[in-house]
Amino acid sequence: MQRLGELEAVVMERLWVLEHPVAVRDVLEDLQSERTLAYTTVMTVMDNLRRKGMLVREKDGRAYRYRAARPRDEYTADIMGQALASSSNPSAALLHFLETIPSDNIVLLREALGGRNTSDEDSHS
Amino acid sequence: MTAPIVLLIFGVSTAALGPCLLRRLGWLRRAPRLGILVWQALSALVVLTVVLAGLSLALPAIPWTTDVAALIESCTMALRAQYSTPGGAAVSASGAVLALSVLGRIGYCLLRGLHISHRMKKAQLHALIAVARRHRDTEALVVDHPSAAAYCLPGRRGTVVFTTAALQALDEEQFAAVLAHERAHLRGRHHLILAAADALQRAVPRLSAFRIAYTEMSALVEMAADDDAVRSSPRLTVATALVRLAEQSNTPLTALAAGGGTAVTRVRRLVAPANPLGPARTAVAGMAAAAALVLPLFILAAPAATTTQHLLCPPETYQEISPGTD
Repeated sequence: MQRLGELEAVVMERLWVLEHPVAVRDVLEDLQSERTLAYTTVMTVMDNLRRKGMLVREKDGRAYRYRAARPRDEYTADIMGQALASSSNPSAALLHFLETIPSDNIVLLREALGGRNTSDEDSHS
Repeated sequence: MTAPIVLLIFGVSTAALGPCLLRRLGWLRRAPRLGILVWQALSALVVLTVVLAGLSLALPAIPWTTDVAALIESCTMALRAQYSTPGGAAVSASGAVLALSVLGRIGYCLLRGLHISHRMKKAQLHALIAVARRHRDTEALVVDHPSAAAYCLPGRRGTVVFTTAALQALDEEQFAAVLAHERAHLRGRHHLILAAADALQRAVPRLSAFRIAYTEMSALVEMAADDDAVRSSPRLTVATALVRLAEQSNTPLTALAAGGGTAVTRVRRLVAPANPLGPARTAVAGMAAAAALVLPLFILAAPAATTTQHLLCPPETYQEISPGTD
């Protein structure tokens, strides 16, 4: 499972860079240069990604061609938006180091720290 | 009939007065783990009194004896006496409904909360596999994002996530401090503490006691994790990391709750020298929490203990079974 997860990351990385839809064989040949992989493994990984909604495929003759459903930065922004919004964190699914703080409260935080200049790391060694 | 009334009055007054009382005990924050325990005891006490009140309505006072045959006999008699009148049956039924519905509602809210958070965690983990990379030789994951944030996804294999902005905001030591804090959350299973508290506040949304308990416990788990972090990092480093992350987090203002207060308290607490709670007060608080939980059981048992078999069972039944009691 760990290995499949890792492969998913590698495959997504390739497809996010490529701008045109690709067939499983293209991805396989691309990845073969670094490691030996079976065609079925790559196909399973890409189908998993499609079912998770990260890839979309379109029919091209007898085979399918795959492309990323959304650009990488858009996807990341979405995921992080979900993680960082306190409203979408029911039942403490995530534990944040810091709750969201209004910007005027940051002054209070700095005061609590005793007016130390936080941008100068050497001042409190 | 007095036991359920006393229990209900006790439960209501605990829910009404308990949170105000506990919030005044500032020293609970000096021992956050104990503080969590005390708040959990208060929450459990409120639930326990209501459930026991319902049960004591449903089941009449049972005269306890060590003789099993006599006990079964007297139980049957007591139950038959209770349910033979329409009024008694109605009271008993409503007691049972009260106890079961309270337990059922809390159980439902707990399962629902756990399910929702499990789904969200799964979605996050799937996504992180694709977009995150490992931070050097630590187990932490890094995601490209312009807002500084650090959080953990609890579970069997907990994951700690940093945004790139957070890594830029923190130096090496501050990063280690934040990582230690998040590891403490994972190790202490803080998400389960909060899930239970959240289930209670959702089960009875009108009761301020559970809302206050949740808010207090979410602050206390942060302080408990801070206390863990200062074991491997200087106190000031943890405090500085907190302020640095706050400065660099540009979260939309609409998403803000009444938070912010906890962060200021945490920084003040970290900047001040370590001030753990003495053993005397720890023992007193621990025992008070335990005693409070036993109290409703006493209220329930007291009338049962004073009830004699003579009052409930016809004399001839008592005569028949009494030879077996020696």
